[in-house]
Amino acid sequence: MNETLLTILEVIFMPVVAFVIGLFMVLMMRKLAARLQRRVGPPLMQPFYDVIKLYGKQTQISHGLIHDIGIIMAVGGYVAAESLLPVPGMDGIADKGGIVMLAYLTMIPSLGLALGVGQCANPNGSIGISRALTSMLAYDIPYIIVIFGVAYHFGSTNLIDIIDTQQAGGVATWGISEMPVLAIAGLFALHASLGKQPFEIYIAPAEIATGPMVEMGGKYLGGLFVMQSFQLYTASVLYVSLFLGGGENWITFLLKCFAVLAIPIIIAYLFPRYRTEDLVRLVWKWPVMLALIGVAFVMT
Amino acid sequence: MNFLDGLLILSLLSVIVTGFAQKLRSAGWLSSVLLGLQCLLLMGMAGLAYGSPAVSSSFSVSVLGQPLHWQFNALSWFFALITLASALASSVYAAGAWGEDYRLQGGNPGLLQFALNLNVFAMLLLLASGDLLSLFVGWELVSWASLLMMVLAGGAAGRFGLRYIVYATAGAMAVMTGLVMIFQLTGSFQFADFAAIAPSLSNAQVVTFTLLFVFGFGVKMGLLPFHLWQADAYAETPGPGAAFLGAISSRMGLFAMLILVIQLIGLGRLINIEVPYSFFSLRDVLMWVAAFTIIFPTFTAMRQNDARLLLAWHGIGQGGYMLMGLLMVNPLGSAGGLMHVFNYASYQAVLFLVVTAVIYRTRTADLNQLGGLVTRMPLSFLMMLICIIGLAGIPPMNGFVSKWLIYRSLIVEGMPLLFVASVVGTLGTILSVYKLIHNTFLGQLRLEHEQIREVPWSMMIPMLILSAVVFITGFLPGIVLDWVASAQAALGIPVLEHTLGGVESPSGNLDMIWICSVLFGGFAVGALVFYSGNKSRRVHQLDNYAGGHFLTADDRYHYSNNFYAGLMHHIGHWYRGTFQWLESSLGSAISLLSAATQMLFNSFHPALFLLLAATLSLLFFAG
Repeated sequence: MNETLLTILEVIFMPVVAFVIGLFMVLMMRKLAARLQRRVGPPLMQPFYDVIKLYGKQTQISHGLIHDIGIIMAVGGYVAAESLLPVPGMDGIADKGGIVMLAYLTMIPSLGLALGVGQCANPNGSIGISRALTSMLAYDIPYIIVIFGVAYHFGSTNLIDIIDTQQAGGVATWGISEMPVLAIAGLFALHASLGKQPFEIYIAPAEIATGPMVEMGGKYLGGLFVMQSFQLYTASVLYVSLFLGGGENWITFLLKCFAVLAIPIIIAYLFPRYRTEDLVRLVWKWPVMLALIGVAFVMT
Repeated sequence: MNFLDGLLILSLLSVIVTGFAQKLRSAGWLSSVLLGLQCLLLMGMAGLAYGSPAVSSSFSVSVLGQPLHWQFNALSWFFALITLASALASSVYAAGAWGEDYRLQGGNPGLLQFALNLNVFAMLLLLASGDLLSLFVGWELVSWASLLMMVLAGGAAGRFGLRYIVYATAGAMAVMTGLVMIFQLTGSFQFADFAAIAPSLSNAQVVTFTLLFVFGFGVKMGLLPFHLWQADAYAETPGPGAAFLGAISSRMGLFAMLILVIQLIGLGRLINIEVPYSFFSLRDVLMWVAAFTIIFPTFTAMRQNDARLLLAWHGIGQGGYMLMGLLMVNPLGSAGGLMHVFNYASYQAVLFLVVTAVIYRTRTADLNQLGGLVTRMPLSFLMMLICIIGLAGIPPMNGFVSKWLIYRSLIVEGMPLLFVASVVGTLGTILSVYKLIHNTFLGQLRLEHEQIREVPWSMMIPMLILSAVVFITGFLPGIVLDWVASAQAALGIPVLEHTLGGVESPSGNLDMIWICSVLFGGFAVGALVFYSGNKSRRVHQLDNYAGGHFLTADDRYHYSNNFYAGLMHHIGHWYRGTFQWLESSLGSAISLLSAATQMLFNSFHPALFLLLAATLSLLFFAG
């Protein structure tokens, strides 16, 4: 019984931690962008202010119940997914799902968003979702090959086992040292999954008026903001768990997470945007090829 | 007289009664009651799914000295449960308001109910087959019964039905050839006799039998490249009939294949046979057939503009998962494959019924003529949402569990490319089903649909119950896994160790009870956060951003056609219609051959041919 209670406490606590770290990741993203563009960038607490501002706005426009429910699903799906990602000292329900489950659970927020946007009855939004789903079809293929390779290598889909094996053996047994090719493919897929430039096809302000966000304002946009911070957190923590030995303690854990995330963000702000078919072609060619080679190395 | 006898007799009686009562106004309800009674009798045999020994029917018939008999084991029970449940749901759906409407449209709902009962009887007979001969009899009955259902609508349906029966006859020929060859080897049609000699068969014989049976039964399943008949034929079937056919009819092919290939020949033999000059075993070849059956039809579905066709194409694709799972040695895979039969039937039936409900209200299934119906038919939307989540294989619905089992076993067995293929299929499904729900229920509501209402309860209740099954068996997969494990035992393959919430294994667990609880907890938090923000104001759908333009009631502001334009820029030219081309060139070749033969016959003196034929046959019989 005590164990169940502890798990429940962790399940409650883990999303809160994820939210706070996620907001700081958003801050880092903005800071990096600013420095690359020779600006100063926002102050430390800006992401918090933004969330509060958006939720507290006077004008809140709803396009119907599914619009509301979509935003709830987008945030709630990530809140649930965070309890599957072990962090130092907390495992949550990671042993009850594993990475395949995590990969599919993180589709729920996207589905929620897609439903919410669909209800808005704005073709710009629908085109955005069509593009977002297409890019998911693109990056999920290398991503799932990477997951296969890692799971096969460690003989488990349980993230706790995967992290424990790496931590027991030290840096030499980290995923990145044993499976460098897969690690590169994984980083590529992670970058595409964040939807940042050059893969920013579904926001595309100049073409489709920010796509999914076109009818979003106030707490709806706030929900998307929260979703984004969760997304940054999930992607980087998963990568750290698969390839960088997870977190031995909170300090190394956070260092690794922020470092991993900094790579795609720096690339994102240095490059312009692709077209949808270019993204599909690029992602289906390079990371898929790398990932398959990586899997071949793992399996031989 | 036991439950099985009762079930078969009642089923036959139902066929006769519904056959005579076609003109009755209450024929639909009568048929529903009869199907309900059959469900009760099936429940009487529920012990089968929890380890009771097989039940044999007390009837047996002898044909040319060969006894035919019927029995039920856990596998038959599992398939029969799906058959009867989907038939009952379709029957109730068709009995009420839909049937009335169908009559007004010029259809005969009584005939539909009769066809439904006939199909159920044929399927039960097939599922109960106790030897190869009764299997073949059941198989043929199933083929012709489903033809009756397919051609009910007339018009184009007749053409598609004809196409089906050409395929089905070719398949039946293959099956019969296989059975005759078995008879020559064993001198009997008993399963046990074939199983006894199976280990001593030469590799060439195993390959021959496997190919014959996989082709023969695979035609019904829509395995590539024999899949072309299915989508059109199912889509043209009247709604509830399509739901029933789509849910279970094709799986009869899987059932028969399971008996002959997995149970009697055995996977071990297939794995040991190497394809010359390759790394593949015969089993791998079949798994790749399954993988292509997943991918091609799924991506064909994505391009459909008719909701019924979209679903029917997915039905073909999902069959690939079942076969892929069942071709795996470890119990995770085979359990996943079997469970997928159940899961798939539950959501596919609802999806067809929802689409039928949309047609009932709007008179169209054209995905470019709909939109925004969620505000008018919210419950139907919810049913479709639940079931597309199931079809796409996303938690928390049951479709995820069976696909998870298949993914896990592909990882365990170390098959990366097949794993990728199955995931590609899932991703394609997600894209495709989003298009379905978006174009039907989301986006802009058309002016002409502003007055429509939700469908009546007689149509809603079957959908509600089946969607509840989709959710509950996702939350508590152990319920179905119990039945699946017994079916595995009946097939003589390794049995999956499971819990109520999923699977516990040293290399990775699945506990859907926890996952679903946390997920809904997460939604609750999401709702809390959402409603803690400032209160929102509802606006009209035309009160939208349109680049400075003001929308009016005659503006169509909806994105539906060529939904994945960006993707199609890249993969569009991969759709070459190769299978269509193959089919039509085969057809042309046959007509050319027959024309040539006819010409030869007409240009010479026909009497000479007669003389030749007569001499040859005399020689044959005399010699």
